[in-house]
Amino acid sequence: MQLNPLTLHLPQTIAEADELYAKLDNIKILAGGTFLVNSLKNLKNKGLKTPDNIISLKKIPELHAISLENGILSLGAMVTLDDIINSSVIAKEFGILKTVSSQIATTPIRHMATVGGNLTCRYTWTELPTIMVALNARLHFTSNGKEEIVEAENFFKNAAKTNKILTKITIPKEENLVVSYRRATRTAAIDIPMLSVCIKTCLKNKTFADTQVTVNNGTVFCQRDNLLENFLNQKPFSPTLATEAIGQLKSPIYETKDDDYKRHMFEVSIKQALEEITGKAK
Amino acid sequence: MLKSSKRLNQQDKNLKMDNKDFLNPVGKNIPRIDGKGLVTGQTKYTFDMNLPGILVGKMLRSPHPHAKILKIDTSKAEQLPGVKAIITAEDTSKIKFGSNEYFFPHTVDQEALESQKVRYIGDEIGAVAAIDEKTADEAIKLIDVQYEILPAVFDAEEAMKPGAPQVHNHVRNNIGVMLPVNFGNAERGLQESDYVREDVFYCQSAAHACMETHTCVGQWETFSNKITLWISHQAPFKVREALAKCLKMNLNDIRVIKLASGGGFGGKLEMLPMDFSACLLSKKAGGVPVKICYNREEEFSFSRRKHSMIYKLKSGIKKDGTIVAITGEVIADGGAYCSYGPTVLAAATMRIFMVYKIPNLKITAYRIYTNNPVSGAIRGFGGVQSGFSIESHMDLLAQGIGMDPVEFRLKNITEPNMVTTNKMIITSNGLRECIEKATAASGWKQKHGKQQNICRGIGIGIAADVMGSKMYKSHESGGAIIKVEEDCSVYLFTGAADTGQGANTALSQIAAQELGISFKRIKCTAADTEITPFDTGSFASRVTFISGNSALLAARDAKQQILNVVAQEYQCQSEDLDIKAEQVIKKASNSVIISFEKAVELCYSFNYGTQVIGRGSFNPKTTPIDFRTGEGNVSGSYGFEAQIAEVEVNKETGEVKILKIWDAHDVGKAINPQSVKGQIEGSLIMGIGYSLYENLQFKNGRVVNPNFGHYKVPRSVGIPPMESILIETNDPNGPFGAKGMGEAALLPTAAAIANAIEDAVGIRLKELPFTPDKIIKALKGMTK
Amino acid sequence: MTTTLIVNNKKYELNLKGHETLLEVLRDHLGFTGTKSACQEAECGACTVLVDGKSVLSCITLAATLDSQNITTIEGLSQGDNLHPLQEAFLEKGAVQCGFCTPGMILAAQSLLNKNLAPTEEEIKKALDGNLCRCAGYVEIVEAVKSAGQKLKNG
Repeated sequence: MQLNPLTLHLPQTIAEADELYAKLDNIKILAGGTFLVNSLKNLKNKGLKTPDNIISLKKIPELHAISLENGILSLGAMVTLDDIINSSVIAKEFGILKTVSSQIATTPIRHMATVGGNLTCRYTWTELPTIMVALNARLHFTSNGKEEIVEAENFFKNAAKTNKILTKITIPKEENLVVSYRRATRTAAIDIPMLSVCIKTCLKNKTFADTQVTVNNGTVFCQRDNLLENFLNQKPFSPTLATEAIGQLKSPIYETKDDDYKRHMFEVSIKQALEEITGKAK
Repeated sequence: MLKSSKRLNQQDKNLKMDNKDFLNPVGKNIPRIDGKGLVTGQTKYTFDMNLPGILVGKMLRSPHPHAKILKIDTSKAEQLPGVKAIITAEDTSKIKFGSNEYFFPHTVDQEALESQKVRYIGDEIGAVAAIDEKTADEAIKLIDVQYEILPAVFDAEEAMKPGAPQVHNHVRNNIGVMLPVNFGNAERGLQESDYVREDVFYCQSAAHACMETHTCVGQWETFSNKITLWISHQAPFKVREALAKCLKMNLNDIRVIKLASGGGFGGKLEMLPMDFSACLLSKKAGGVPVKICYNREEEFSFSRRKHSMIYKLKSGIKKDGTIVAITGEVIADGGAYCSYGPTVLAAATMRIFMVYKIPNLKITAYRIYTNNPVSGAIRGFGGVQSGFSIESHMDLLAQGIGMDPVEFRLKNITEPNMVTTNKMIITSNGLRECIEKATAASGWKQKHGKQQNICRGIGIGIAADVMGSKMYKSHESGGAIIKVEEDCSVYLFTGAADTGQGANTALSQIAAQELGISFKRIKCTAADTEITPFDTGSFASRVTFISGNSALLAARDAKQQILNVVAQEYQCQSEDLDIKAEQVIKKASNSVIISFEKAVELCYSFNYGTQVIGRGSFNPKTTPIDFRTGEGNVSGSYGFEAQIAEVEVNKETGEVKILKIWDAHDVGKAINPQSVKGQIEGSLIMGIGYSLYENLQFKNGRVVNPNFGHYKVPRSVGIPPMESILIETNDPNGPFGAKGMGEAALLPTAAAIANAIEDAVGIRLKELPFTPDKIIKALKGMTK
Repeated sequence: MTTTLIVNNKKYELNLKGHETLLEVLRDHLGFTGTKSACQEAECGACTVLVDGKSVLSCITLAATLDSQNITTIEGLSQGDNLHPLQEAFLEKGAVQCGFCTPGMILAAQSLLNKNLAPTEEEIKKALDGNLCRCAGYVEIVEAVKSAGQKLKNG
């Protein structure tokens, strides 16, 4: 057997899942399984403790839904990366989500991996957190029958810790938005990124406004770079802005010790993101 | 009665191939003879093997890179329910085995299970067989081993210094193998040169990463004194030989059967402790079969790997581009045991003579023992490391006198029908044509030195391949048997081990062509030491050439037996007859006497009653490399290639994008062009992986990236456009003119890419792999 | 727990343990050894099967979550003696070498063809990005998928 014994629960409703979660011990939630099942193997190989109970959210229909209503995109926690890539609604209104999802891992993983799993698995190099923080997403959890909503930025400030079940993610549609996302790997091979950055700003007379710079350095949970945001806000789009901006990377999230290449690629990624935003994308 | 004939005329409803193609199969894209089982999942690999009562075997390994074994206490493990057998060195004869042992007896350095000392993390000292994996793992943990930890050494240059920890007590300064190649007067040659330069190149370790990991099932029927070992392997006869030695048994007590194997690439070329242990565990368990299957982490950490090498060169040329002298030193990290180290060193130095005319050469190559995991054979042996180093160095030499790299090579390459400085006899040689065709196809003249403004560049690398080498025995023969059954269906028994390169198919094509019958009549049974004749194995690109020749000779012998009967019946001379396209014909007039079917019927008829059993054995007239002088005609023929890479360098990110690779290859004759192309591309892609990101990394003797997540191999999305140009020089010694080529395509790749990168952005990379950080660092270094 | 697995259009009523992966169930309980395992870490794709027509990795799928879903293994592609067009194309184009990656590779291709019978070369390469092949250069595999798509499109 590849895994240690466990009891698998397949609730059919959110309420059922909630109840199980409250009453069982040593539990993990199973979404797509691309992180969890792999980690169960690793834990077993290292002789470490593994969960006795797994609650799979697979059979709960509303968790698989994508909808856009009153300017709010709602993604059920069990929506897969493949669902996101194939959704015409998302392609039209939230194209950046499709772009980011298409670059994650490989095809069969994208068929299985879920948005909920990607956000709650607590691996610092996952990519949806960066984009969700940038888009001001809100994470909806359930606990004891009550819904609790947490802003994505705060969720990751708190290191993605939760003892509740994530049911859906809502993202408000913002007007005049310009978004650019960049990721960098260490080699040409398909790989988890060593870093990713997302810059979002509102177009107001070709000037940066309400800018959000979200950075993932692969070692801590993604964070906003307020220093760079302050630098950019109120600045007009200009050909030299991108080059000037990389002199402003002072936030500790860019700390790379001796990893010169990673530091270099932070600068390149921010520069390229800004160039794309200011219309000079290569 | 002649039922098999029905199959001949049936259009295979699943495959579109003209029946005519099957009649003259050499040179045709015959689909894999074993292919249907593979595409349907019906074929069973050793990985799939299951027998009643089969036990799971696990190896007991050292957690230390260097230590004395003081005591092994298996008592607690023995009491665990479900454990059926435990073995340590005490259960063995402690006879040492090696891989290159015939020519290098001092390199026989490994015990099947180590009894005195462990020399790398993972070194095997025992094994357990239990009813399931969980029990076996638990049992391993319960075995109590006491070690006295010894200081360890992980760097080859450090290991050579006096005072370094000695990995093997009988070897001074950890110099396991030394190859001092010295021809002419290299020192004087350098003095007489117009331009001299020095370069040092660094080549990383790499993994075979076969899709099917090392797997075997051993069964020892104790009362019959018979061992059967099913195995995923490239050299089952080598395994049999090593087992016989260590177990002190006769060769015919041991049957090694290679099942369909999921890749080898040199990693499955010798007996490993797991193979020995599966057999011995079975004996101790009373004859119950034991299966040992490496997981991926074991595969990366504890099997074999590529020798990392430091390659130092200092060479001199005349101002007209003539090479005068090449000197240098090679230091290879061999890890804890010898494996095929000597052959790797030979390939790392000898291949130069196949490619260039060199009057003076002095290179001393060292294979150093360290407490790292064992380095062994991997596609190209040491030819990949030397390919990168030499071909980069050649480009730099050409640059030094302002000569075009292609012109420089054309000035110095070997030619057909010549003997090299170290006595290699080159017969057919298409190297010139390879270079000319590759440069024409790639647009070399329009591109080289002309695209720096768009960060594009083009680079060339050339190489030569052997087809065989006398490596672990005095001979390197292949053997084959052809059996023609009464219904005209035909067996080809060959010792050759097909691990995916298409040997079964190619050999069947050769046999059918020679016998003059349709390919559809043949079934191939291969690599079973009890049934098939001997074959040294799938390495050094030898199978098409050597095993192919043995299949041809067996077919010729079978044909002769049939023709003897026909000649007797029809009162003519058998020398005047032949079989072509299913007909027995008179050679002079091409007139048909009788059909093949009637001829076979005649053989088995009342008056004759002759079974048709053809035999063939082929051993090329070659000499091994003499490690005292560096001389040796190692191969019956030599293959050649020229490879050109065009790249685009992203100066911002350091990424190297390969725009296209052209590979012109002298293959003698392509027995199956599609298979040949498949092998070239597969090898090339492996070369690209090695050039750009493959890197087996160690820390204090432990592999730190033993999984596909961190050891990157090429995927479908990474492949550049490739163009294969097959050049057929019709070798006089090869079967139907064919030469081997399974390895060559990755030999010059790293250099072609390095040369192209320099052409594109003016930086010279001498350390593999060419990851983006190195490019950025070099570019930044330029602007300072 | 009792689970009904539909494998290659046939129903299997199984008493599964929660921790059994689909890979183990297919190979060890149901005898579908065409599905291979080469890494156990969701990187190599040798364990690829189809669930409701989409490629997934059976080594990280808990079998008991697949009640009443359609699972296709390599054994389910051929019909009687007749090879599926993908299987034929792999043979014709020389896309099979050692064959260990082949079942997973063919199913990954089938997953793509289930959506699109005329994929571009880039789309094919992307669909196969989860399947490692160490023998071939992927070139013939891409050609085989293109060819099979055309065959299926033309009926």
